[in-house]
Amino acid sequence: MKRTLFWLQCGGCGGDTWSMFNIESPNLPELFKSLDIEILWHPTISVKNRADQSQLLEDVLSGRQQLDFLCIEGAIIRGPRGTGLYDLANGKPKKDLVAALTRQAQYVIAVGTCASFGGFGADGEIEATGMQFLKWDKGGFVGESFQSKSGLPVINLPGCPCHYDIIGGTLSQLVSDAPLDLTEHQSPMEWYNIMVHQGCTRNEYHEYRVEDKGFGEKGCMFFHLGCHGPLAHGPCNKLLWHRRSSKTRVGVPCFGCTRPDFPQPYPFFETRNIEGIPLELPEGINRAHYMAYKGMAAAAAPRRLKTRKTGI
Amino acid sequence: MTRKIEIYPMNRVEGDLEITIELEDDVVIDARSAGTMYRGFENFMVGRAPLDGLVITPRICGICSTSHLYAAASALDMHFNVDVPCHAAWVRNITAMTEMLQNDFRQAFLLFMPDFTDTAYEEEPLYADMVKRYAPLEGSSVRQAIDETRRILEIISILGGQWPHSSFMVPGGVVSMPSNNELNRCAYLLNNFKQWYEHQVLGCNLERWQAVQTKADLISWIKESETHLKSDLGYFIRFAAKAGLHKIGKGHGNFISFGMPGLEIESERQTRVGQIPLTVGGFFSDNRLSSMNQENITEDVSHSWFASSGTSQHPYQGQSSPYATGSEDLRYSWAKAPRYKGMPAETGPLAEMVISSNPLFIDFIQLDGPSAFLRELARLVRAATVIPAVERCIKNAISTPGQYYIDHGEIENQLGHGLVEAPRGALGHWVKIKDNKISSYQIITPTAWNASPRDADGVRGPWEEALVGTRVKNPENPLEIHHVVRSFDPCLVCTVHAIDLR
Repeated sequence: MKRTLFWLQCGGCGGDTWSMFNIESPNLPELFKSLDIEILWHPTISVKNRADQSQLLEDVLSGRQQLDFLCIEGAIIRGPRGTGLYDLANGKPKKDLVAALTRQAQYVIAVGTCASFGGFGADGEIEATGMQFLKWDKGGFVGESFQSKSGLPVINLPGCPCHYDIIGGTLSQLVSDAPLDLTEHQSPMEWYNIMVHQGCTRNEYHEYRVEDKGFGEKGCMFFHLGCHGPLAHGPCNKLLWHRRSSKTRVGVPCFGCTRPDFPQPYPFFETRNIEGIPLELPEGINRAHYMAYKGMAAAAAPRRLKTRKTGI
Repeated sequence: MTRKIEIYPMNRVEGDLEITIELEDDVVIDARSAGTMYRGFENFMVGRAPLDGLVITPRICGICSTSHLYAAASALDMHFNVDVPCHAAWVRNITAMTEMLQNDFRQAFLLFMPDFTDTAYEEEPLYADMVKRYAPLEGSSVRQAIDETRRILEIISILGGQWPHSSFMVPGGVVSMPSNNELNRCAYLLNNFKQWYEHQVLGCNLERWQAVQTKADLISWIKESETHLKSDLGYFIRFAAKAGLHKIGKGHGNFISFGMPGLEIESERQTRVGQIPLTVGGFFSDNRLSSMNQENITEDVSHSWFASSGTSQHPYQGQSSPYATGSEDLRYSWAKAPRYKGMPAETGPLAEMVISSNPLFIDFIQLDGPSAFLRELARLVRAATVIPAVERCIKNAISTPGQYYIDHGEIENQLGHGLVEAPRGALGHWVKIKDNKISSYQIITPTAWNASPRDADGVRGPWEEALVGTRVKNPENPLEIHHVVRSFDPCLVCTVHAIDLR
């Protein structure tokens, strides 16, 4: 059965689109072909003159043209003062177009952190919001009770950018009509029920609390360099990028870009701490036990780790 | 008869763009361009920690985030007063130029060439071939470009962890310490890309292409063999001639380029700096090349919705305080107007070719002047000089052991700027740090140069100027306007001030 997709870019950088172009096995053209998805509109892909564009919009909004997947990339910009005039489409606030399209779609997919949770500008003059969340709070642009025609809420695919496998994988799941289990933040369990930390090649250094304070070393970056690997949900170190590496593997701390509060208001590259122990600990951990465990672990650290002899 | 046409939304452009043209007897007599979205990135930065620009500014742009990272890190190198070791400079350049290779072919095959498949051209003898090659997602060349640009980006994943939006460059170098095995892998990836580029895009090897040094050489090159005629470059040259791209999009003829900071290290050993693109920056106007000094750069806000004490300021003095007056007075854009010694200048691959004194492009400029054709040609052939430059950087890094990072110590300077050559041209970050916090962050992107509005003297921005004089066959489907604007590879998400309040 043929399905259709409409992709709208709002307050964003286009990075999720360019991430999507890195899909492999199948590559992007093969993916859409094998899923029998017709791209009604994608701002980077479509060739349609003005008349055809307006006709298409009219058909979708009137329901004459079926719309299966509505993908929103970038935050919904509501500023200044709720007018949405900071982001226009055809001279009208783009947020109004988003609202109208949302009513027609079988599935609404928020691609990337800005579309999911507001991301850049959620605290600022542009009054950005995610589709169904504003940071940690449910509601966002479409409201808490929103369900698309399929009965599902907005499906959030956070990440800055969203990993390309997640975009392809989510569409594949939905086309196959298999149930899609979602986390409390409405992201597919398959990719968001795992921590970025899992699969990081620095795990052994983390285990024994062999921590780095400066760049260009092999140790763990959780205690001093602001790494959010154990605090952020996402499959970076499972899927890897270009099936090759990840930020934490090469020595860039995880910035928690899948989290509803990304970008964090406090400095990157630093860990907020209490008496040398990170302020924010992995979910559900007892602080006192954690301190005892890390103290023991540091004492047990083998020399090969302390001297950074073990490769990463 | 004068009529006004608004072209919006202009698709296959990074970010949202609105072009307004005024036609008299089908000829453009005036043009204005405006971005239609405001994200306020510069204002996010104020009050944040010094290193935060390394995480935030790459997120300005999904297709050139590595260039923003490079500019941000270079500015911090100045703040911390630290000399980046050679190996780190090579890694920065390898990754920035890899991003450039990716950008050029995604731009050409996904954004530019599909205009040639518009049914307005269906009478052209080459039309069926163009559809076969460049139809969105379906065309044979498009599919190859999607695969090859994905593969080449693996280099950035190896050296920087992911693409886009990594933060592996830091003041003092890069955080990654690639092993020789990883660098060898980069060399293989580059070599695969080079083979595709020679076989599919050029239709000849790099050496043969480099022998094309004049317009006359180009004409004999294309007639020389079937593989030249039927390469993507061959199709572009032939179809662009049919579509009249050499006759449109002239512009002011002023060019600016910043060059790649890290390549200077190597250029000390090169005697003929001019032959290596990206090595040094420069400014070209009135057929004269001069060296580039960032102190000559100002931003004019006479036609932009920004509050300002004067109309024209150096980016260290500049602010981005929104000041909406609607469309009542002169102001019509939230893009500022960057000027060099008071002059508008275009930037991008053509500017690089001109400023590096590339003989083929100098010959064209002298004979015919700039055009939409020449601009896109520069983008398609830039890889012929970028690939050997990346090869050299990888080889250098493999052949000698060295440091990738040196401790950056404490901040010594309040002012820091990072000027780099991004895929679309000159990109600069000007950063002020006070009491260990960012007190001002001003960015001038390549598209800010190209898409600039008028200045206080009423002088148009580069692509506004390039549109004037264009004959539009069908005002309902003004393809010529698309060709001209796209030849600049517009990126409105990068034009961080862009807004249109009406």
